[in-house]
Amino acid sequence: MIDPANLDFKKLGFHAGLEVHHQLRSNRKLFCNCPLILEEDPENMDYSFYRYFRPVLGEMGDFDPGMLVEFEKGYKVIYLANERNTCTYEMDETPPFFPDMEAIEKGISLSAYFHCSAYAEEVVVNRKQYLDGSITTGFQRTFISARDGWVPVKGKKVRITNVLIEEDAARRVNWEDTANRTVYFNLDRLGMPLTEVITEYTDVDTPEELIETAMQIGRVLRISKIGRRGLGAARQDVNISISGGDRAEIKGVQNLDHFDIMCRHEVVRQHALIEIKNEMLKRGIQEEDFEHTYIDISHLFEDDKKYFVTVFPKMKELFGREVQPNKDFGEEIFEKSMLITGIQRENHFHSDELAENAVRKRSAHQCTLLINKDVLEKIKSIVKINPEDSLIVVAGPERNAMHAMKKIVERVKLALKGVPQETRRYMYNGNTEFLRVIHGKDRIYPDTDTPPVVISLKRVHEIAKKIGKRPWEVFDDLNRRFQFDQQHVDLLIRDEKLNMFYEIVDKVGLDANLVYKLLIDLPRELRRKGIELNNDIIIKMVHLLTDKIIIPEQLELALPFVIEKLDISDEEIRSKLNFKIISSEELDSLIANQIELFGKDKLISAENRKRLIPKIVFQILKKCNFSVPGEKIVEKINLMLKEVN
Amino acid sequence: MTDKNTITEPEGYRGALRERLIKDKIRTWSRVEVKKGDAHYEGLLLPRSQNTNDYYITIKVDTGYNLGILVDDQTTIREIGYQKGHYELPHVDVQFKKEFPNVTLLGTGGTVASRLDYRTGAVLPAFTPDELFSAVPELTSTVNLTPKTLYQILSENFQPEYWVKTAEAIAKEIESGTDGVVIGHGTDTMCVTGCALSYFLRNLPIPVVLVGSQRSSDRPSSDGPRNILYASELAGYENFAEVAICMHGTPSDSYNLIHRSTRCRKMHSARRDTFRTISDTPLGKIDDSGVTWLKKDIKPRSSAEDFYLDAKIDDRVGMLYFYPGMNPDLLESMVDLGYHGVVIIGTGLGHVATDIYPALERCQEEKIPVIMVVEPLYGFVQLRVYETGRDMLARGVIEGENMLPSAAYTKLIWTLGHTRNLEEVRKIMLTNIAGEITKRESPRGFMLHQGTEPGIDYMLKNL
Repeated sequence: MIDPANLDFKKLGFHAGLEVHHQLRSNRKLFCNCPLILEEDPENMDYSFYRYFRPVLGEMGDFDPGMLVEFEKGYKVIYLANERNTCTYEMDETPPFFPDMEAIEKGISLSAYFHCSAYAEEVVVNRKQYLDGSITTGFQRTFISARDGWVPVKGKKVRITNVLIEEDAARRVNWEDTANRTVYFNLDRLGMPLTEVITEYTDVDTPEELIETAMQIGRVLRISKIGRRGLGAARQDVNISISGGDRAEIKGVQNLDHFDIMCRHEVVRQHALIEIKNEMLKRGIQEEDFEHTYIDISHLFEDDKKYFVTVFPKMKELFGREVQPNKDFGEEIFEKSMLITGIQRENHFHSDELAENAVRKRSAHQCTLLINKDVLEKIKSIVKINPEDSLIVVAGPERNAMHAMKKIVERVKLALKGVPQETRRYMYNGNTEFLRVIHGKDRIYPDTDTPPVVISLKRVHEIAKKIGKRPWEVFDDLNRRFQFDQQHVDLLIRDEKLNMFYEIVDKVGLDANLVYKLLIDLPRELRRKGIELNNDIIIKMVHLLTDKIIIPEQLELALPFVIEKLDISDEEIRSKLNFKIISSEELDSLIANQIELFGKDKLISAENRKRLIPKIVFQILKKCNFSVPGEKIVEKINLMLKEVN
Repeated sequence: MTDKNTITEPEGYRGALRERLIKDKIRTWSRVEVKKGDAHYEGLLLPRSQNTNDYYITIKVDTGYNLGILVDDQTTIREIGYQKGHYELPHVDVQFKKEFPNVTLLGTGGTVASRLDYRTGAVLPAFTPDELFSAVPELTSTVNLTPKTLYQILSENFQPEYWVKTAEAIAKEIESGTDGVVIGHGTDTMCVTGCALSYFLRNLPIPVVLVGSQRSSDRPSSDGPRNILYASELAGYENFAEVAICMHGTPSDSYNLIHRSTRCRKMHSARRDTFRTISDTPLGKIDDSGVTWLKKDIKPRSSAEDFYLDAKIDDRVGMLYFYPGMNPDLLESMVDLGYHGVVIIGTGLGHVATDIYPALERCQEEKIPVIMVVEPLYGFVQLRVYETGRDMLARGVIEGENMLPSAAYTKLIWTLGHTRNLEEVRKIMLTNIAGEITKRESPRGFMLHQGTEPGIDYMLKNL
């Protein structure tokens, strides 16, 4: 395994694409009139019911291969539902209601932010099959808003291939035991309007670019106020491949901080699988070498599980190869057979794992079957294994164990092709686990329940015209005019203060840094103390500043009085601040006194001046109750020092 | 004749757009490139659904999604490839097993098995054995099922003559010794067909089970596969010989209820557990562990020798739903148009407004039987409780006991096929033929909330 901390992404031919799923702000679900309320406790329910799912043919007359694997899993799906956020639509007991027009228009608006050129002028609702139970109908209703857009990322354009609007899936509850054939979902989230923004994966070459792409898309969702806020509102699926590898879709990465480690561990995995493939080819292994001949060795064990063993010719030491930190190739295979057949990976064994430094010994899912070296020797003598061969043992109920072995043989055959196309699940340690075979386009077919919705191009243009500045345009503007960095701009967007910022800076004419302090720094500081600085308070402060009731330096002094009493009069503020107009002479003598106090001699060197003047200014400001702008005091000090010299 | 090189009709397209597609030699199912200003689209040109806007094309893009584009003068379309979509299932080779009962599945339409139709964008029934066994492979390991197609129609398009043809087809199957018959039927009028068959099939020796689906089989969540599996088991193995309906008992895929057709009614426009037995308990329930019978008066299988078909009908029968403000001319015109019988769904115990009385008198004079049933569905007609009721009896109205509207309607059609003698009609109508009239009304018939979970399990267990 190559070192995940030390990778040359460009050399490895790394490519990554994003599918950003973000809930939309809305008053209703996309295809029914239920409100958007999430249960605090996902196990909360008023009632419950259960279903089984079957794949259906795509419109071209084919079953989607991914769907057949899903069906193989044989899930029983139990739904938990609550009266207040779920109706018969989410139960799949009634056809969809007319789609939320507002959500359709938000899709157009978003597409305009992403510079999309090709709009769906007639929205056709499609069904995308999901047999994992996450959607009661067995398909997600989804439609294209527009195609062919882009976002700027580190000086280049990353293309947005599709902007979709769709219904969110149900929330999985209790998802710890992946081997369990019963799965649970809460229906509260099902049907919430969601956008999916898909990027062209060949355009992103490094994890940094991937993160920046995600951030640009996130900024659009915030600046447009289309994205719903709060925990779980955004989820990313990431598609990763390297040269010679293939697309792995990694689902449900919520935190951008995890992107880097996830990319690294996936690159390492694909690289390892390619190496294994090359080694297999070198050893002259062919698909036909692997057969579904499993031998019953249950008599070697005392429990009542069925034990099957299969020999994998010429595979010695390959199952023991590390493919991701602390996970060997064998375990990678077992993840898949576990998820499809329900046999825990702990009940899977391969012949490399008893070696001295075996990777499996470091795994969180070590084999729990009672197979030591002696037992292994017995097994080997039963199956008459050659020294260059490997073997795998699976234990469980007869049917499931046979099914698991079948899946294992299939997966080992696939190893000859290198990296299989898979949808994988992100784990806390940066590794990923098999979730399902990647879904193809055969799982998408038109929704016969919803007639197409005509959106005239005129309407598209009207909506597109109404969008505000794009985040990158805002950055260019604020950076050019006020030298704001991206972090400053991001906070203005995140706190939804951008419009107010422009209003106060451009129309009222206050200083940009002062306005930033008032809109971002002070509210954030106060929020930590539990005080909410609402817009009324901010507007009042803007008035005090523009009408020169206070000077900028008094901002923080005056703020508590306004927080306490919003309709405080200008006079009251002045008297509270003990505001006195001091004459120029008084100020001069104050300054002279302070210079004397600090020592004129010390102020000769420029270095000292730089250090001491701010202190002098602060003392003076305190003495005159911040009634004189600091710059003016600095000016006067410099003047006086010049005179002295 | 679809040849790759001939220009076929651009299916579903109309008007100027259709002309343009033909002129530019652009076929449906071809790969097209569409340009319009900055916008550039590529995908399969799909047939267009009916009843949609004439000026748009539908294309399927690389991701499998469909979308519509307005084709105007600025739009260019170019064909760049061709791929005809074909709907083909793998052939399933079914071996009949000696130990399995033989069951015939008569398809009449409906959505037990169905596929997409691009022209209408709707779901069409699909009933070839290949389609059925591909969709529900377990069927081949339960019974020896022989699917036959009678019609492919939506159930609202049924006519009384179709009931007759269906009954004749069942009779033929009985004569050829089948162990049970399953009828695939649209759910909307399933109960009506069920009632008619109940009267037509005299001394029925085997089970006849009507089945359908509330979620069409083009959905992974369809209730159809489970319904047809249970219906087949019921028809093949159980010792009962009635016309029954076997559909989901709850929103879960947990069990189906078995309803006597004459007491059954569709009670929800969309739910899986839409069918309820009215004024009685269901005959039984069926789940993966088999059938639990809930009623004792179930007719067992019998010799086919006694069976005969009696499907004489007179379809000059109408049904009126009385409502406050109903103009008597509705009933008058039925007399004028020469109807032979009328079923009226009356309020409460079976009442109509007094201004309908003259029209009732006309029916009496013309010897047109008028059968009263109740709008509340549950309970009996009782025209002796109130004065108005007695006035109606005096005008010849026949109390339809606790017959459901569809049971009374089909029964009157069947009765009038045999006699138009008013007294004989009255006698037949008031005789229980197939469970459409119950002598007693158990309180459970109203109190038992079929389909509410988890309550139903508890209630059914504690009967």
